[in-house]
Amino acid sequence: MRARVVTGGILSSIAVLVIGWQLGGQPAVTAPAQQRTTSGSGTSGTGTSGSGSTGGTSAGSTGSGTSGSSAGGSATSGTFAGDTTETQYGPVQVQITVANGKITDVTALQLTDQGGRSVQISQQAAPILRQEALQAQSAQIQSVSGATFTSEGYTTSLQSAIDKAGL
Amino acid sequence: MIDTARPTRPLPTPSGDGRPRSPVPPAESLADAARRRRRAGRRRSATTDLLGILAWVSAAVAVTLWLAAPGSHTVVGIGGWLTDAGIVAGLVATDLVLVMLVLAARVPLVDRTFGQDNAIAVHRSLGKPVLYLLLAHGALLTLGYGASAGTGPIAETIALFSTPDMPLAFLGLGLFVAVVVSSLVAVRRRLPYEAWHVIHLLSYAAVGVALPHMLSVGSVLAQGTWQRVYWIALYVLALGLIAVYRFAMPIVVTLRHRIRVVGVERIAPGVVSIHLAGSDLDRLGAAGGQYGVWRFWTAKTWWHAHPVSFSAVPGRGRARITVRDLGAGSGRLGRITPGAFVSLGGPYGLFTSRARTAPYLALVASGIGITPVRSLLEDTDLRPGEATLLLRGTDADQQYLWHETGALAESTGSVLYTMIGHRARSRESWMTEQDVERGVTLRSVFPRLLESDLYVCGPRAWSDLVVREARLAGVPEHQIHQERFES
Repeated sequence: MRARVVTGGILSSIAVLVIGWQLGGQPAVTAPAQQRTTSGSGTSGTGTSGSGSTGGTSAGSTGSGTSGSSAGGSATSGTFAGDTTETQYGPVQVQITVANGKITDVTALQLTDQGGRSVQISQQAAPILRQEALQAQSAQIQSVSGATFTSEGYTTSLQSAIDKAGL
Repeated sequence: MIDTARPTRPLPTPSGDGRPRSPVPPAESLADAARRRRRAGRRRSATTDLLGILAWVSAAVAVTLWLAAPGSHTVVGIGGWLTDAGIVAGLVATDLVLVMLVLAARVPLVDRTFGQDNAIAVHRSLGKPVLYLLLAHGALLTLGYGASAGTGPIAETIALFSTPDMPLAFLGLGLFVAVVVSSLVAVRRRLPYEAWHVIHLLSYAAVGVALPHMLSVGSVLAQGTWQRVYWIALYVLALGLIAVYRFAMPIVVTLRHRIRVVGVERIAPGVVSIHLAGSDLDRLGAAGGQYGVWRFWTAKTWWHAHPVSFSAVPGRGRARITVRDLGAGSGRLGRITPGAFVSLGGPYGLFTSRARTAPYLALVASGIGITPVRSLLEDTDLRPGEATLLLRGTDADQQYLWHETGALAESTGSVLYTMIGHRARSRESWMTEQDVERGVTLRSVFPRLLESDLYVCGPRAWSDLVVREARLAGVPEHQIHQERFES
């Protein structure tokens, strides 16, 4: 009888764990803040310099940049702020500095700061994420463990900044 | 010596004006009754097994909360692994703490299918593992956070203390340590029952103060997740069962039946029968063999609740319990004066004929262990020869309620044996030296032992020996019913 409990318990536990594993791995962020920027900024390829403007009522992203070359559009320069991404621990927004098509710096304008250890986690994760982003020159970077929400918010905002820079 | 003679003293009528008994044995044939009991037994054990599996699954779900949370599939670095192991340890530990609370909540379904004493045995066995998990939870997370932040464990502990809700969590951990340590056998033996009980009540506080940090610090139970909803529901369920069955039900029962002490009868040195009066006591639903948790509202006794068996099946207006002076608290019970108000939790227990699964009945009682056996015999419809009793006492003084039991045995056509004398010294045995030498065994006392339900009640060490012999003789586990004495 006890054996029945143990076998039944183990089997159903395994089933539950498998289901749990299947459920897992969704992104940590809710839908990234929709494109609130109305006009593109820092468009490349035309040799114009754009200045970002915010649209709607929310403080969206701003960016200003120039593209140095009229051909190929490979040498953008300037700073580009990504979209604000909402996470359960607060909004995350990053800004990239681009020089001649290369990301030279990533600054966090806003980081997760709501609840518990959020500030601590953000402070830990931000330098690592920045380093990874500078190395990868893209938003395809590994998330920092223990800072899942911050990481996902960071990369999402980073991607939108890169998109704006047209890199 | 085993003595088959019936008691020779005149037999007083059992007090507690029991239920009207049918003088005719039940019409159902022995085999039919056995089949019915086996079916009921299988249903009970299926329910028990399901509840056990549910407990397992709840622990697995606790792990799943983490598995399904974002980021659990991409654990990076030593800090990450430590942190996540710590999270899982905390989730499983909390789940098991809630399981422990439910086991101790005296939920009727658990008591009727599994037995409250078995539930408490499982509750106890979980104590230490849960504490280890909680300590691991704290240690792993401190190390994990420290490793991720590049700080040492001490700096990290300080940082954690300044995190909102974390001081409460540390307090909760401290309370859990106190609760478990005070329940270790070695410690508990040295503690007065009241001290232990007060410390044990702190576990409710521990569960309460631990909750905020789970919801605010951990990301698994973050706001807006289904995990958070599930976790809070689990808390509500466990604490709700406690509130209803552990606290509200006893109050309802007490107010409904208004039980008072009407007499305290000294039946042997250190043993008293407490006669109680109340309204509709027959509707308590107490089956013979069950016990209640009693509290006598006098200046010296109100702070101590006693689990004591009914020594007679309650009648409409009367009930009786019989207590032996087993500790400071129950020693005072002898000095309770008539008129004292009584509160009752229960009745509880599976030491009843409802738990039977076999055609025949074998009852073994020692000392004050007679009480549930006597009321069980009173409450069971028996054919002549269906039940056999063995009453055991250390000396002639210990024949509590033996003549009443003898009368019941006679009226039901049951066979009664008695065995008086100290336990054998030459070897470990539940019998007297003489009977060991004569080659008496459980099977010789109960020739149909293997087709019997064996009910054993007496001091723990003694009854464990009886049960051990029964197991060795091949009595299936579901036919063994042991009433454990210590609370």
